[in-house]
Amino acid sequence: MELLSQVVTGLAVGAAYSLIAVAVVLIYAGTKTLSIAMGEIGAFGLFAGLHWREEGVPGTDYHPSALVAGVIAVVLGALLGLVVERLVMRPLVRRPPLDGLIATLGVALLLALLELKIYGSDPVSAPSPVGNRVFTVLDAPLPATRVAAFVLAVVVAVGLFVFLTRTKFGLATRAAVSDPTVARLLGVRVNSVYMFAWGVGGALSGLAAAVLAPAFGNLTPFAQTQFSLRALAGAVIGGLDSIWGAIVGSLLVGVVETVVQSNVSSSQNGYASMAVLVLVLGTLLVRPRGILGTTGVA
Amino acid sequence: MTDRRPILEVDSLCSGYGALQVLFDVSLSVGEGEVVALMGSNGAGKTTTLRTITGLIRPMSGHVRLDGADITGRPPETLVPRGVVMVPEGRGMLRDLTVAENLALGAYVSKDKAAIAASLDQAYSTFPILAERREQKAGTLSGGQQQMLALGRAIMSRPRLMLVDEASLGLSPIMTETAFNLIAEVNRTSGVAVLIVEQNVLALDLADRAYVLEKGQVVATAQGAEVRTMQGRLREAYLGRAAT
Amino acid sequence: MSRELFAPRARPPLVPTVFGILVAAVVLLGPLLLKPGKVSTLVTAIAIAITALGLDLLVGTTGQLSLAHAALLGVGTFSAIGLGGRGIPWPAAFLGAIAITAAVSALIGLPSLRIRGLQVAITALAFQIFADSYLFQQSAVKDNTLTFAAPSFFDPAQHGFRRLYYFGLVLLVLTVLLLRRIGATRAGRSFVAVRDVEQRAVAFGVRPGPTKLLAYALSGAIAGLGGALIAFKEGTVNDAGTFNLQASLLLVAIVVIGGARSAVGICSAAFFVRALPNLIPAGYSLPVLGDVATTIPIVFAALLIVSIVGNPEGTGGLLRRARTGIEGLFSPPAKRPSPRPRPTDAVAAAAQAADLRRVSRPLTERLPVPALLVARNATVQYGGVRALSEVSLEVRRGEIVGLIGANGAGKSTFFNAVSGLAPVTGSIRYRDRELVGADPARRTRAGIARTFQDMGLIRADTVRQNLLLAQGWITRYPASAGILGLGSTIADERELRRRADLALELFGLDHLAGETLGDLPYGTMRICEIEAAVSTGPDLLLLDEASAGLTPDEAHALGDRFLALRDELGLTLVVIEHHVPLIARVCDYAYCLESGELIAEGAPEQVTAQPRVVESFLGKGSLRETASAR
Repeated sequence: MELLSQVVTGLAVGAAYSLIAVAVVLIYAGTKTLSIAMGEIGAFGLFAGLHWREEGVPGTDYHPSALVAGVIAVVLGALLGLVVERLVMRPLVRRPPLDGLIATLGVALLLALLELKIYGSDPVSAPSPVGNRVFTVLDAPLPATRVAAFVLAVVVAVGLFVFLTRTKFGLATRAAVSDPTVARLLGVRVNSVYMFAWGVGGALSGLAAAVLAPAFGNLTPFAQTQFSLRALAGAVIGGLDSIWGAIVGSLLVGVVETVVQSNVSSSQNGYASMAVLVLVLGTLLVRPRGILGTTGVA
Repeated sequence: MTDRRPILEVDSLCSGYGALQVLFDVSLSVGEGEVVALMGSNGAGKTTTLRTITGLIRPMSGHVRLDGADITGRPPETLVPRGVVMVPEGRGMLRDLTVAENLALGAYVSKDKAAIAASLDQAYSTFPILAERREQKAGTLSGGQQQMLALGRAIMSRPRLMLVDEASLGLSPIMTETAFNLIAEVNRTSGVAVLIVEQNVLALDLADRAYVLEKGQVVATAQGAEVRTMQGRLREAYLGRAAT
Repeated sequence: MSRELFAPRARPPLVPTVFGILVAAVVLLGPLLLKPGKVSTLVTAIAIAITALGLDLLVGTTGQLSLAHAALLGVGTFSAIGLGGRGIPWPAAFLGAIAITAAVSALIGLPSLRIRGLQVAITALAFQIFADSYLFQQSAVKDNTLTFAAPSFFDPAQHGFRRLYYFGLVLLVLTVLLLRRIGATRAGRSFVAVRDVEQRAVAFGVRPGPTKLLAYALSGAIAGLGGALIAFKEGTVNDAGTFNLQASLLLVAIVVIGGARSAVGICSAAFFVRALPNLIPAGYSLPVLGDVATTIPIVFAALLIVSIVGNPEGTGGLLRRARTGIEGLFSPPAKRPSPRPRPTDAVAAAAQAADLRRVSRPLTERLPVPALLVARNATVQYGGVRALSEVSLEVRRGEIVGLIGANGAGKSTFFNAVSGLAPVTGSIRYRDRELVGADPARRTRAGIARTFQDMGLIRADTVRQNLLLAQGWITRYPASAGILGLGSTIADERELRRRADLALELFGLDHLAGETLGDLPYGTMRICEIEAAVSTGPDLLLLDEASAGLTPDEAHALGDRFLALRDELGLTLVVIEHHVPLIARVCDYAYCLESGELIAEGAPEQVTAQPRVVESFLGKGSLRETASAR
């Protein structure tokens, strides 16, 4: 049952990626922008939280626990998302999507370089926010963080689904996604929808950072961007205009990555990166709209 | 020009896209309960006029007033709360949403659940076909059904003024006739004022007053009986029998 | 150097030239004053600048974003070391590195054959991370036993890095010349067309997929050159930091901040971010910002965001505007020109026209039927909507046929069906050859040209460039020959320019050849579009609402032009028009569409008199029920 336990682990890994993937799809659906900044947005908040855990919050003697550091990552992530939306993305609303992508690239770069400057290049220790108990599921050892990631992914997926289909603001969001001009004429404040997409997206990124970093025990600049690539791959494979697609795609990436890595020993992440590359290349050549995507996305 | 209290006043509007000016000193008004037609052929500036009124484009100069209050350049989101709805060119269907959801969005700004429910019932009784297809995605409806949905959605918020942009676009003459009849009925039963922007001179049959737009300028106006005369002249102009 | 090899440039005014000389002096003489360690950094900066120029070819022209160019740089370096270290002479090692990197880049760009969107950027990102974490870690790749030994002429131990520096400068200059050269060829024009008007470009015979792939390959080749330079300088690779994700992101920043298609801007940006931190004395720090060397990249990243939001054209754009401003100080701004009336010398006009017509194209022999275009039951269906329903019509050689109908009736859809841009069933035969199902890019070759309702030309280019693009199908030289100016390239390009100038004269627009299309008045732009269509030497011309937005006088003149196109150039025209008097004046035959169906045909006066047509355009006499109730 080696393979099965690998698959289980892979699903848990993919679940963590799906948090970022959902953030990407939410932003893409809402603003037609593909964002590669979600990784560093999450990392930035986590860096602050973990740093304060070690050094204490400036001006006080308080050392937040790892869990609180995680919460700080989520909150700061949301705030950062809102700031980026308001200052960087909103002026680009009428521009071609490429400009938006480049802007998010700038944001990712800026945040990572700031992290390097402020916290140095030594990795910051990232202990698990939910304790160190290891569960065993179908012969697979799953640390508490992975289980937490899985649970969170489910909660987020269900929550978003309920929100989008059952609430008034959710309906307005779907209207803004379908046709922003018509939505505005119906009284929907489309700017609020953009803020929502980026705020929630930022929060999800912080959440993802909090559960992904402990797997390596530490956090370094640019590391989260590598994870966000896995999530981006998942979103693209699943279909950029579908939230379920983002989740399915990410789970797939997680499974493939884990299975490949377990069976072909090599240095950290080596063969896994190759597998991801092949997956993305293959999907774009064979079925460009993704598994659950609906249109040939432009 | 009208003896009814004006809801909408457009005053010397100059507008366009970037450096390209499309409208030159356009002025018009719509009174309470009136049907006003803005006629013009392709490229005359009709859609630009509506987009400027609704705030989708900022004008270069001029004013737009609603009940006397200046709303020039105000964003479109503020219109529905003020009682103004627009049925855009192509009907503005939210294709991935169902008929029921489209209608619900028509009353988005309203918070009175009872009133919303009543409006919904009224919409379904006025357009029974919509009631039959309420769970269907709007993108799968035919052109005529979409027109009905667009009108139904527009009246959900109990507006005082309805702007209709080229309702006849892509519709056969029979469907166009039906659409115009519906607009006339909506005006009659609920008293909502209508500004209908059209190429098709049939729209003049509904109109209390009319303006003709050509190359971004108002070149003719008509009221009451004069509207019939204008209709005849426009028809001849299109056919080229008059000297050009 | 022949002026024809490069796009003709206007004479530069005085001030920028003086500035240029100063910069050149600094660049050439500066290294003589620096210590060898610093000069070494400059060489790396040059390699980065070369790679950035390669990235610019991709992003700045085709609009594809690559986040893997630092990895490609690495591929070039490792390939060069791998080849040179095994004893292959250095020029061959250079070429090998270039070829390998070009191939890898094309591989990354493969998805662009199938999709237009941004997902291709993800493939590049995946490759970058793959290279970082796997490829460059492999001992086979970073084999430390291999050393690429540069010839002793360049030996750093004896000459410092100065000779390498000048060598690098030569390569940089060659790269810039190469890019200019590409811009003057058919391939270069296709790149721009793919970015701006991708779907329309097919009407000019441009194939978006292969064009983009070529751009990837060329871009990779240039990165390979940069990599080979680094290998040349270093001998082996000790630190893969130059090839990591951060470096790739910085490369994009260089292109954006420097300004797309501005060599000066890009080189300056590369210098700023790569060389400057090392040139500042170590340990130098500012009060708040701290160590300058680490602050510069941060400033750069912030500049990237500011740039893309507020100043998308980058430094290059600023420089261009400054230059135009300075030029404006020395000479008064020209008045906005407009088309001149056509030359009234009938004999000269006919001769000009005959000259334009002479295009060698395999023509079928005498046709058995006079009909040039025959459509039978053409149907276009988008999902549940029938945009065109069983339309059958005929266009005879030498006719001017009018296509009328209300908005949304299916007229443009019919044109799209003929052009191959809409999914059509049924039959559309041109010169008795079936068009349905055939490659859209071949329409121009077959002799069909068209205009679009909303401008299918490139506004950012000059009028002449657009005409050259439109005629692209006439020449046959392959891209590689084109770049090097081999074979028939020069003669072909000369011929294209001659035809373009001829077309301009025929329409009275020759004085506008060098104007940027987007700056011209709308009516003139539309006429340029017709011109571009005519310059492809077609037999059948499809004009979509050519009179839209024209004043009554211009519309009248347009009618004259239609007649002239038929009488002097022997073209057959199909015109979509709303202006009924125009149709009545120039058309021999008219078809009326309504809701995708053909409802009337015949001589224009007969068609417009038919009740159903009148109804379709203008509505019935009166509404039933409601009207009487008012």
